[in-house]
Amino acid sequence: MANIRRLVLDTLKPHEPGIIEMAEELGDIVGIIAVNISIYELDRKVENAKITIEGENVPYIQVVKVIEEMGGSIHSVDEVVAGKKIIDDAATLLD
Amino acid sequence: MRSLLDAVSYLREYDKLANIGEIARRYFAMNAFDGVLTIIGVLMGNFMAGVQEPRIVVSTGLATCVAMGVSGLWGAYLTEAAERKRDLNELSRYTLTDLNQTRIGRASRAAVVVVAVVDGLSPFMAAMIVLTPFFFAPIFPSIQMVYFVSLGMALVTLFALGLFLGRVSQGNLLVYGLKTIFAGVISIGISFLLGEWR
Repeated sequence: MANIRRLVLDTLKPHEPGIIEMAEELGDIVGIIAVNISIYELDRKVENAKITIEGENVPYIQVVKVIEEMGGSIHSVDEVVAGKKIIDDAATLLD
Repeated sequence: MRSLLDAVSYLREYDKLANIGEIARRYFAMNAFDGVLTIIGVLMGNFMAGVQEPRIVVSTGLATCVAMGVSGLWGAYLTEAAERKRDLNELSRYTLTDLNQTRIGRASRAAVVVVAVVDGLSPFMAAMIVLTPFFFAPIFPSIQMVYFVSLGMALVTLFALGLFLGRVSQGNLLVYGLKTIFAGVISIGISFLLGEWR
């Protein structure tokens, strides 16, 4: 099976643990090279975070486990790139 | 040794998540204060009733210490557990996930235990410090001296608590110390007057 090289997740998480701790824990997972977490909505108790992960072989199950262990939930997988290299989505006339 | 370091590391993490340190400090100061003033009441009651036998003072004092400890531990455990469970359930509704088996859930449960232990131990130990001279009553010249030394230790303990609070609030240590001693002096004074009035 092809390796997952990029994942973009839409998540909901409590304010604590913060995104720094979450990024550190995700970055520690074997197979992950880089993690980007950005907050795009902030509520009284929770925040919506877009998590972008890249690596040679991103282990999806472990990523889910870490996010859930820290109290987060994955709303959707917005993008996934698998294979031998990373490519972006192709532009079409509709875009 | 390794597991002790791990436990300390977990507690630090849980402190960040559940604010354990702040709550524990608050309960420690509040309950130690209660413990000292309660045992002042026991001592003054025995003194004004003319109790000469140290064994009687020790018995009533110890029973009071144990009652305060059990009350603190049990009360704090039930109260804190209920509040934390409510908060966790509310947060679970916001995140649409069960947070019981997450880091937040574990931090919450750790907070309950730490707060209950602090709430139980602080009045017990504070009161025991004040009661200590009665365990060594034979070395004192008279029972009155034991009472005075005990009450003196109560005031010193209150002063120390005041210093602790002053340090926590980063205010004037001496002012806080005098404020807490004042409560002890008032308690002793009123108990004495009530005893004389009777």
